[in-house]
Amino acid sequence: MPSSSFSLALLALLGPGAVALLLAIVTPLRNRVSAVVLSLAAALSALAAAIVLVKGQLQPVPPQLLTIPWLLQDGVPFAEIGLRIDGISTSMLLVVTFVASCVQIFSVGYMHDESKPAQGRYFTYHSLFLTAMNILVLAPNLLQLFLGWELVGVTSYLLIGYYFRKPSAAKAAVKAFWVTKFADMGLLIGLLVLRSKVGSFDWDAAITPAAANVVTLLLFIAVMGKSAQFPLHIWLPDAMEGPTPVSALLHAATMVAAGVFLIVRGWPLFAVAESTRAFMLGLGSVTALVAATMALFQTDIKKVLAYSTCSQLGYMIAALGAGSLLGGFFHLTTHAFFKALLFLGAGSVIHAVHSNDIRDMGGLARKMPLTTLTFVIGALSLAGLPGLAGFFSKDLILEAVGEHGVSLPLLLLLFSAFLTALYMGRLLLRVFFGESSDKASHAHESGGFLILPLVMLAVPALATGYFGGMFGQLYGTAYHFHLGTTGVIAAGLGLFGLGLAFVLYRKSEEHPALLQPIARLIEFGPMDRLYEGGFHRIALPFAALIGWIDRYLVDGVMNLTGLAFVVSGQKIRRLQTGVATDYVLATVCGVLALVLYGVLR
Amino acid sequence: MTLGLCLILSAALFCIGLYGLLTHRNAIGLLLSLELMANATNINLIAFSRFRGDHIGQVFALFSIALTVAEVVVGLAIVILLHRAYRDARVGRASEFKN
Repeated sequence: MPSSSFSLALLALLGPGAVALLLAIVTPLRNRVSAVVLSLAAALSALAAAIVLVKGQLQPVPPQLLTIPWLLQDGVPFAEIGLRIDGISTSMLLVVTFVASCVQIFSVGYMHDESKPAQGRYFTYHSLFLTAMNILVLAPNLLQLFLGWELVGVTSYLLIGYYFRKPSAAKAAVKAFWVTKFADMGLLIGLLVLRSKVGSFDWDAAITPAAANVVTLLLFIAVMGKSAQFPLHIWLPDAMEGPTPVSALLHAATMVAAGVFLIVRGWPLFAVAESTRAFMLGLGSVTALVAATMALFQTDIKKVLAYSTCSQLGYMIAALGAGSLLGGFFHLTTHAFFKALLFLGAGSVIHAVHSNDIRDMGGLARKMPLTTLTFVIGALSLAGLPGLAGFFSKDLILEAVGEHGVSLPLLLLLFSAFLTALYMGRLLLRVFFGESSDKASHAHESGGFLILPLVMLAVPALATGYFGGMFGQLYGTAYHFHLGTTGVIAAGLGLFGLGLAFVLYRKSEEHPALLQPIARLIEFGPMDRLYEGGFHRIALPFAALIGWIDRYLVDGVMNLTGLAFVVSGQKIRRLQTGVATDYVLATVCGVLALVLYGVLR
Repeated sequence: MTLGLCLILSAALFCIGLYGLLTHRNAIGLLLSLELMANATNINLIAFSRFRGDHIGQVFALFSIALTVAEVVVGLAIVILLHRAYRDARVGRASEFKN
């Protein structure tokens, strides 16, 4: 029944939108509990709609499109806007609305100490985010996707800067906005190139491989920004300045995965773009390794998870680069569940300990058993312990990358898998086991609002791996699980990493002497310094040069002209003495000259 | 008495007036000089009228006298105001607009 699925999709899209608009306009509503209730209701109804929509997609059905012409020019639409309901959009919708609902329930508990207006603002942003994300997910063409893409960028800015009185949060928000907007220029230019090449913004239009390479490379620049891939990953760790539930929803599970979603959506273009995919494979695996290394050396629990997110996004990009649509998207789904779980678990810990630093934690397992249990499930799923969700999706990626024999990206990804287990092992040991610090000794288990979402997310983090066949059906590709060599190696490396973490970090979070140089290098912050140096050495002198030209050459000509008239005026005005007789004399001289002229002519 | 003699008289008067205009600093002296120059022109007008045999020149001369009187009235008023302001009738003193 197409019409009913369209109304469900519209409910998922417009419900949160209406709530966001209502809360934005009607201030008294925002300052009460009603803000929480309304946005939660919108999120849950969107979730319900998504579940029904996904159920409808389990039978093989053609994609359903509902579009209306948009931006009419002489009666011809420039583009279309509307809904596209197929396996990809509905499953992404399910992931987004499920994680968003969990995070909103969590937020009720987590943000409880904030003032009522601040909470209202928070939930308004959340509803706006959900609307924006659904615009992106349900987009029938790349233009509408771009619209949602920018809107989630704005909400990300708003939510990172939620504690805007804190200078570091305000700076982080601006940094995230600048970096991602810089990257988004690629998407905008890519869209224009696509439009000029094929005459529409559809991703499934016929296109030559050469044009597809150009377009996809431009789109990929935007993906690098949004999904925090290696040179443009610098904003994501700073984005942890936002409230922890925001980090879970936007900066781990859904918004940063929008980049991966863009590639999945634009797969008809990326499928023919060989060069772009080769680049993606290389960059994704490098990001996975670099970010995993950085994660190992953090002492802020959220930054460990942030770098881990970068690393896992690198896996997804590498999978898509290797041509495995299912691998990339399946890992997106499992990662969304277990990383949201990990972030919310971290939020629960932070709520109890009032600190982000893992050195202030320790021994929380006895005090917070449920948080510990769910966090361990998420961590092991991320580390790729066989049988958990993360294992299946990571195995799919490694198999796709290793399909054509051993290659550098495969080795990088395998080593990253080892590092993932190592840093998660370190985090688990330092936060939940061992001796507790002063701050941690007063911690106690969080309330129901905080625990319920953890349990809700722990279930898919455990079990999503067994629904690979269902996901394969949704994306239109077959999925058969078989344990290959790479899978065994990855599982072995994961277990080895956890074991090594136990050996190395059982007593202290300090790194062994062998790793100290790397720790110092990371503390030095090479990437941030590179950008800052580039800004100081190149951008500022260039701006100074342009400023000099403007001030002294362009303005100089103008000023010189004006000055010439002022100076000459000052000289010439001496002729006007103001004495009447001088004028008479001048007149007489003039008359005499005229007479002489008349006589002599 | 010929036209030429009349014109010479008028030119002589005019030059005396011009000389006074250029040399005097006193406003009253300037007005007197202007009056001489105006009357030089009046002599011209009447002389031409006399030797052409019509009266148009005399009418012009009457006009000119009336205008000169009006001019002198305004000029003297200015001189009185100048004197009030500066206790002095020399035009060089009134240089307030000069920077």
